[in-house]
Order: sequence, then C-alpha cells, then structure tokens
Amino acid sequence: MKHPARTTLLLGLSLSLTVLAACSSGRQVRNDEYGTDSARELALRQTGAASSSGIVVFGVDRSREQAAQAAAGGGGMTVNAFLWRATLDTLSFMPLASADPFGGVIITDWYSPPQADGERFKATAYVIGRQLRSDGVRVQVFRQVSRGNQWVDAPASTATNSEMEDRVLSRARELRSQSAGR
Amino acid sequence: MRKILLGTTAVVSAVVGAAVMAPQASAQEAPTVRIGGFFRSYYGYTNQTSSLSNQGSGLPLNVAGATENLPANSPTGGTGGGVPGNNIARLGKHDISTDAGIDVIVNGKLANGLTYGATIALNTGGLEGRQVVGRRSSTGKGTVQVDEMYAFIAHPRFGQVRFGDEDGVMGGLMNSGWVQGFGTGGVHGSWESFVTRQGNGRTTTAPGGLGDASKIIYMSPQFFGFDFGASYAPNANGGRDQGCPNDASSGFCDRAYAFTGARNFGIYAAGPEQAARRNEYQAAVRWRGNMAGVGIAATAGYIGAGAANDMTFSGTQVRVFNNLNIWQVGVQGSYAGFTLGANYTRGDYNFFWGNTLRGDRPAEQIVVGGQYVAGPITVGANFTTGVFEGQNRDTFVDTGTALTRTRTATVGSSGLNTPANSNGLSSMRRWGMGIGANYRLAPGMDLIAEYVHYSVREQGRDLDPNRFGVQSRSFSNVFLTGVRLAF
Repeated sequence: MKHPARTTLLLGLSLSLTVLAACSSGRQVRNDEYGTDSARELALRQTGAASSSGIVVFGVDRSREQAAQAAAGGGGMTVNAFLWRATLDTLSFMPLASADPFGGVIITDWYSPPQADGERFKATAYVIGRQLRSDGVRVQVFRQVSRGNQWVDAPASTATNSEMEDRVLSRARELRSQSAGR
Repeated sequence: MRKILLGTTAVVSAVVGAAVMAPQASAQEAPTVRIGGFFRSYYGYTNQTSSLSNQGSGLPLNVAGATENLPANSPTGGTGGGVPGNNIARLGKHDISTDAGIDVIVNGKLANGLTYGATIALNTGGLEGRQVVGRRSSTGKGTVQVDEMYAFIAHPRFGQVRFGDEDGVMGGLMNSGWVQGFGTGGVHGSWESFVTRQGNGRTTTAPGGLGDASKIIYMSPQFFGFDFGASYAPNANGGRDQGCPNDASSGFCDRAYAFTGARNFGIYAAGPEQAARRNEYQAAVRWRGNMAGVGIAATAGYIGAGAANDMTFSGTQVRVFNNLNIWQVGVQGSYAGFTLGANYTRGDYNFFWGNTLRGDRPAEQIVVGGQYVAGPITVGANFTTGVFEGQNRDTFVDTGTALTRTRTATVGSSGLNTPANSNGLSSMRRWGMGIGANYRLAPGMDLIAEYVHYSVREQGRDLDPNRFGVQSRSFSNVFLTGVRLAF
C-alpha cells in the first residue's frame, strides 16, 4: 500500500460520516437514483420502462402489484383492504346503495328478510384506517317496522351492531390468513 | 465487572436496536430473482483517418499460421517491394454491430427496512478484436463475459454499501452533468464499436471508462438534498483470483506493487486486467433539488490513486508514474422535458483515466450536453473537448542497466519522418460532438439514429503512420442507425 495515511483518512472519514448519517434521519436514496454503466439499465431508463421489467424466475414480484395499486388509486386504497373486503362480504346479503373505498363508507339499501315480514333493515359501515385492527370497523344497523301502510323507525337491538362488527372482523381474519401464503 | 460489561452491552444493543430497527418497520419481502437484458443492432457508416495502416502491433495478422504480414511502407516500396505507399490493409465503410447482455438481478427486503440484493451482468462485448497469432488461445467476438457483478445492502438510515466489480462513486454512480440519455449516448455512445483504435481516436474520457475494478462503495442517505459517497479499490483489476500466472510478479498480479515494464501500463494494456493503477479511492458529494421548478443536480468529487513501480532491473524499483489526482465538478438542470448539463474535470490523468508519466502535464476536460424529450421522441447533442498528456514526449527507456528518461525524437514508422520534439513535453487535444435521436416504439424498445465526429490532434506526432508525411490529426465520422431493446 503506497499511501496508508490517505487510505486510513478516507476510511476514517467514511466511518464518521456513516455515524453522522445514523444520527439524523435522511431519505433513502433508491438504486435508480445512481448512475449506471449497465446497457440494459441505461436503455430502460431512457425509454421510460420500469427497471422492474424482465422475468421473475424466483419469488413474487411485488413491484407490479404496487404499480397496479398506484395506478388504480394514486397511492392505493386509503383503508385496510382486508377490512373493506370483509365488510362488503358480510353485508352482501343486503342490496348495496353506495360504497366509497376512499372514505371507507358502505351504505346498503333497505332490506326486508323473508322470515320477518313487516320489518326492514338498512346498514351503514365505516372502515377506519389502514391497519387491520379490531376497532377498524363500525357498523350501524337501522330498523323500521310496517305500521298500516307506513314504515316507522324502530330501535334495533344494540347487540346487532357489535355482532355485525364481529362477523366483519372474523371474515377479515379469514381473508388475511388466506393471503398470507402468497 | 463482567456483570457491568454485559449490562452495558445490553443497554447499548437495546438503544441501538431500538433506534435503528424500530422506526423502520415495514413489510418484509421475500427475495426475487429477475432476469433481464438488452439487445442492440446498429448499421454504421464510418469515415475515419488511419484506415490505411498495416500491422499496428507488429504481430502477424493475415496468414494462417501467422508467419507473414504486409511489409512496412517506405518511400522505396518497403522490404517486400511493390508500389511505394501501397502496402496497406484497407478498411471499408459499412458494418453492422450487434451486442447483447443478460442481467441477473436479486432483490429482497427485511422487516426492519434493510434491502439487499445482487446484480450479475453478462454481455457479449468483451472482445474487441483478434489476431491469427492467437489461433486457439483467443475466443470469438460473441463470447459472453461478466461485466459487472456486485451485491448491496441498504438501510434507510445508514445508506448503502456495495461490494464487487462495479463503478465507483465518481466512475458513474454519482456524477452530474454528463447528458447522454439520447441516441446511444452521443459522443460517449456506441460509435466506438465501428472505429478502429488507430491514432487513439476511439476512446472518450467518460466516467464509465474508469472501470469496474473490485471495490467497496459506501453511499449515504440524502440529507437536505445532499448525499455523499466514497469508494476504494486496491488495484485496477476485477474478478476472482489474484491474477498472477506463476510466482513471478507480473502486471497481471492484482497485488503487485512493482513489476517489470510497469511504465508501459499507465493505460490498460490492450484488453483489461493489466494497468499500473493501485489504491484507487473516490469521493463524491451530490446535491439535488428544485429551484423555481427546475430540477438541479450538482456533484463535486475527487479520484485518487497510486501506481505500481517499474522493476526492470533486479533490486531497483523506479517510480515512473504520477499519482492519479483528479477533481471533477458537474451540474445539470431539467425543466419541461429539457435537460442541460456541463462538467469540468482537471488533474493528473491521461485520456484513458490512467496514470501520467512523471513530469507530464495534467489533463483538463469540459463536457456539455443537452437533450429534449417530447412524448416518444428524444433528441439531444453533446460535446467534449480536452487536453491530455501526449504520446510524443519524454519517456522511460531501458538502457540495459537502468531506466533512463529519454527524449522521443523520432515518430512515425519506417523512418518516414523525424520531427524533433524540442521540449520533451507534449499535449494531445481531443474533441468530439454527437447528435442523436430516439423514437420509442414500445417501452424498452427504441429506433435510433446518431452522428458523431471525433478528433485527436497532437503536434509533431504521426497519427497515421502509414501515410507519407506527418499526420498530426486524426478524426472519425460515424453515422449509425438501428434498434435497441431492453427487457
């Protein structure tokens, strides 16, 4: 080694800079922000093709999923996908009036179960946040009964709301365990 | 004591663990292995000087068995007789050049945010030319070889470490101001595939030319727009083994700090893996940001290296090279599809990023370029000019008992001309410009057209030895067009 002093200095400098880097939080620099001498990578960058092109021969390519999600909603769903799907599944026996995946609101239409003539129900569900948590979903069930020729509001049993929430949560758990093996 | 020590260690690891790992929690991703690659095929029309030479290396080229060659030219017709000035091999103007590469790319991510991976790039562009004399000891031009191979470990907080055969931080990873995202890269592009090496007119001094010597690289996260990096390579070579063919210290030995004939390898020997460069270190600071809607990137960096000593006589090591000592600044700006960039490099290096001989002049180079992207069409141009160490100057000559600094008084071949180089120093001026365009047919696939002019000038040195008189200028004009596909 011809210049041990310089090399040691450089290594020392690198180490101290690394320590400095560790002290405050910087932004991670992605690999595609560095220059490259790879003919493939240069051509991909030049033609606007993603550097995640090519054939995946081992493993699952998450980048395409993420790209598809980003394309679908500019950053993907704003609520937890499992809870959202589970809520839709759980309320699917009723006709759907509206569903907003960004706000996380599902509103059903009035529905009269065949076994309970003269009684109808409507449900509103709110999916809250991106995390799969037990308090991530709230369901409110409304009930009306037929009096003469008119529908009149009637209180629904308070247990119904929490029962519906439990059904949603257990369905979400099922969906999550199904997708874990992917 | 032991208890305290353990306790301290535990506290430290808890603190470090909490600080480093906890905030970075993110989804773990199993590693993926991806295969990609590129293919390109260009037709080139080449008009270059020095297309009349006969054997450049002196080794027989043309006859099976490699025993004969064209005689050298001379005013009287040469040793083999014939018409004066007519003992030449002629080069035509048309060619098609194809190249392909396969990359294997591994990527993974841990739950603590650490990403890791490796890239192994194989390509077919490793062999430039062949000689009959190496009949069964050389391979064909389509032979696949490893270009880059490296692994990386990156952490959002600590930055990235790369290790393997890869460019350094100033050898292409963090440079700014090199605008070559159009055509095949303009003056730094594929025109070189069509031009012969005569008259040194083939090589431009661009970052990738520093080479993929085995090295370790550190690059930081970005703070307030700044990121920095450093890299170190013990020598100029890559690959697995140490390179020594036997127990003698040769220029092929990675670890040789002195070897016979080192003075000849300031520039890589024809083909890679033999150069005098040792202990190469690079450092770079880069700033990227947005000023009034214009995206700006600026880099300042340094490249340093020592060189192996020449050991032509037993027990005598002679220091024949200057250390590599290069500063570079570059800046580029992008706005509404336009990118403009400029770059200035100065220091002790030759036109091949090699060590200069002691006493020789430093080099300086300016590169400017611009490009414009409109939908599927990209057009651009770039220009480079620089002054470098010349070849027609004092050199170290083996006098039988010592290496002596000797004045080069005779240039050219065959005694056709003998201009004196009175001050013993010389400069080579190199400039070139390229203009090119791409049309994107599909993502990853381009149709390309490009024109490049490149010129080398060195007073008093004959750059076309097989023409009569002293041609102190050589140039190349290449027009190329073709298709390139990356996948």
